[in-house]
Amino acid sequence: MGRIVLDQVSKTFGEVEVIPPLDLTIEDGEFAVFVGPSGCGKSTLLRMIAGLEDLTSGNIAIDGADVTEVPPSKRGLAMVFQSYALYPHMTVRKNIGFPLRMEKMDQAEIDKRVEAAAQSLNLNDYLDRKPGQLSGGQRQRVAIGRAIVRDPSAFLFDEPLSNLDAALRVGMRLEISEMHERMQTTMIYVTHDQVEAMTMADKIVVLQAGVIEQVGSPLDLYHAPKNVFVAGFIGSPKMNIFSGPEAEKFGAHTVGIRPEHTDVSMTEGTWKGTVGVAEHLGSDTFVHVHDTGLADMVTIRITGDIAVKHGDTIYLTPQVDRIHKFDAQGLRIE
Amino acid sequence: MAIVAQSSKFSTYGRPVLAWAVGLLFFFPIFWMVLTSFKTDADAVKPEHLIFFTPTLENYLNMTENYDYWRFARNSVISAVFATVFTLVVSVPAAYAMAFNPSRATKDVLMWMLSTKMLPAAAVLYPMIFLAKGIGLYDTHILIITVLSLINLPIAIWMLFTYFKEIPKDIIEAGKMDGVNTWGEIKEILVPLAWGGIASTALLVFIFCWNEAYWTVRLTTIDAATLSKLIEGNRAPEGLFFGRLSAVSTAAVGPIVVLGWFCQKQLVQGLTFGAVK
Amino acid sequence: MSDRKLPRLLQAPAVLMLLVWMLIPLGMTLYFSFIRYVLNSLRRPEWTTPSLSNWRGLGNYEFVLKNKDFLLAIQNSLLIVCSILFLTVILGVLIAVLINKTFPGQGIVRVLLISPFFVMPAVNAVLWINMILDPVLGLQGIAVGNINDLLDSLRSAPIIGSFFSLWPELNPISFRATQTSAYAVIIMVTWQWTPFAVLIFMTSLQSEDQQQKEAAVLDGASTWSQFRFLTLPHLGRPIAIVVMIQAIFHLSLYAEIEIVSRGNGNKNLPYLIGEFANNNIGAASATGVFAVILANIVAIFLLRMVGKTLME
Repeated sequence: MGRIVLDQVSKTFGEVEVIPPLDLTIEDGEFAVFVGPSGCGKSTLLRMIAGLEDLTSGNIAIDGADVTEVPPSKRGLAMVFQSYALYPHMTVRKNIGFPLRMEKMDQAEIDKRVEAAAQSLNLNDYLDRKPGQLSGGQRQRVAIGRAIVRDPSAFLFDEPLSNLDAALRVGMRLEISEMHERMQTTMIYVTHDQVEAMTMADKIVVLQAGVIEQVGSPLDLYHAPKNVFVAGFIGSPKMNIFSGPEAEKFGAHTVGIRPEHTDVSMTEGTWKGTVGVAEHLGSDTFVHVHDTGLADMVTIRITGDIAVKHGDTIYLTPQVDRIHKFDAQGLRIE
Repeated sequence: MAIVAQSSKFSTYGRPVLAWAVGLLFFFPIFWMVLTSFKTDADAVKPEHLIFFTPTLENYLNMTENYDYWRFARNSVISAVFATVFTLVVSVPAAYAMAFNPSRATKDVLMWMLSTKMLPAAAVLYPMIFLAKGIGLYDTHILIITVLSLINLPIAIWMLFTYFKEIPKDIIEAGKMDGVNTWGEIKEILVPLAWGGIASTALLVFIFCWNEAYWTVRLTTIDAATLSKLIEGNRAPEGLFFGRLSAVSTAAVGPIVVLGWFCQKQLVQGLTFGAVK
Repeated sequence: MSDRKLPRLLQAPAVLMLLVWMLIPLGMTLYFSFIRYVLNSLRRPEWTTPSLSNWRGLGNYEFVLKNKDFLLAIQNSLLIVCSILFLTVILGVLIAVLINKTFPGQGIVRVLLISPFFVMPAVNAVLWINMILDPVLGLQGIAVGNINDLLDSLRSAPIIGSFFSLWPELNPISFRATQTSAYAVIIMVTWQWTPFAVLIFMTSLQSEDQQQKEAAVLDGASTWSQFRFLTLPHLGRPIAIVVMIQAIFHLSLYAEIEIVSRGNGNKNLPYLIGEFANNNIGAASATGVFAVILANIVAIFLLRMVGKTLME
């Protein structure tokens, strides 16, 4: 069980209000991702749920019980830190067993649970090594193992993959997702990488300057971003967003069109531009177009390869039903 | 500037020669003291026996009757050991709190503590004597241990603070998540991780206590007098006893110098409060 | 929340102890400095115990300021501290740069070099003033004697003798006179603390950016320019720290002065206070207040300079 409810939770550091009062509910078994640019307050929010940071006001409830004043270890949560935060003076076995030892659990039971966790994480061969002798990925697994053994009601991940190299990151991402499928435990995952958010989450919480911009499933956010910020933040390459006369033609103050929702032609189309750089990935081609009169640069994503090069003239036509329209406040117009 | 010139010839021959010369020059007085300690008092002042002499252990064997060495040495050990332990008992929790739960005042408190080190001891000399005599602690181990602890407390807290600050905060927080209480945090995480730093701090405090020569001289007469007082009281009437004086001096500094050799780097670095890495 | 209280509780013993240690004796010093308080006064026995009825106002301060030893002591304090700082920093930088590169036996040279730092000040003073600097029996005296003997024999040699007879007889320096004993103190403390400076500078040099140096070489910088424009600025912070820590220790220099200069007029402030404290507590306390003021001036200056870099 792990239903987490934040009620009018806020945080102030001295004079600075990092998180204005906010409400948020994370359902039992849900994989929730907090995503936003650095400094948006997502880590602070996670640490408040963990109990590592005091609340300035508001309440946090886990499974109906108010835990606002409950110390971190008594909340039934486990956390995986960005730096892994392994105890460097303990072996992997001791690291994983540490929270159980602190619970004064029977040693035989500790050993059993540690073995089981190590088994599921492929750490059996490393149980007697110290963290210093492990690779980044292995350390990450130990940190997860230390969280698993406690059988928590929810897992908290604070940018757990940002210290891994790109290839490893994709692998660990899958492993964490699989772990969630298997265990069906609530997970809250903080990241600044929207790709991680899109691929892993049941529910994404987009934050900016401590304010929740939108909460929804990955595809909700992709198809119907509530405002310009979410529109620009979710999706890769980024949505092309422009205002001015061209936007007004669509009856909006600001208009956004995703790179993959624009058709191109070498001969005719709505907008004319010059190719700056064309990135040929084989499966896709990203074309960066200048001089369209819309924005400094418009990015287009085409499936497959297309023979364009620097300096070519190119015509763009948006798929009209896929255009996102926003008003002067930056809010979505349906 | 020959020293910074980098011609290859200098690097191959000049640098080692010059460096060794400097090293030997600095070590020479200590070497000389040790050498003299093996001469008889008579030989020690004869130019013809400057280097060639018949070594003797008599100065060391007679240390007890000449100087009552062991009594002072015992006092030095007692004062330094207990003062070091007491300093650590007070400074480890304080430094722990400052490093991991800093408040807005922490920086000011630390600076204030350092500034107490700048208070000239001499300015409060008489009040200390007055108080010590008033409560009957003059020339006792308790007084010397207390004073030695107090004068080393700021440095110990500073050193420990810098060592503790190098422990990632995440690890402490992971401990909190894993359910350790404050005592467990100190015992299970802090002490094992900062063991080296705590040991260096203890060693440096011990050395400072051992070498201290103001309060130990002014607040004792005989019962609690340390080796500093012994040496200060026998500063030798014009070289009559160079041999025996060297022996007792060697015995007074030998253990500390050897101790210092083993941890010179950590000690000196610790003394810069981690500001030089 | 216990989260807030516990850290305060853990700091409390240390803070309270230092507070008591600072305030009570200092308060007493301040009090004594305003009253007549003399330990041995047959004529006025009421002065031998501290009491407000012996109020003297600023009389003790006036007495101290008019005492010729006071000015001398301040001069000496500053001369000794400044000279030591100057010498240790210069020697420290030079030696650190010299032994920073690897050479055969580097580790041993380091150990040899650092040794003086661990010698207790009392032994340091006894060792230098007797066995090394003594004008007759010390190495200085013996060396001067030998050179004079050599000159003597050269003077009687044919032909070149007339040249050497132009040379004067060398005189050994006595380091027990008022001024020279200050030099003796400077020499022995410099010997003790230069190793400290060397080790700190060496540690700092090892963290110097080598790529930056390589870039400078490609830019055509000479060895001297590299030292002047890269190494020296890099050493700025460690130099400041060496100065601060040494100032803390040397302002209260005592054992060396006590051993080298007892009774010959060379005094620093701690020593002068010690002298007064044998009898005239009022004057000792007033001098103590001056010492605190001097220390505060230095401290404010130093903490401003270094404090920020320590905290970051």
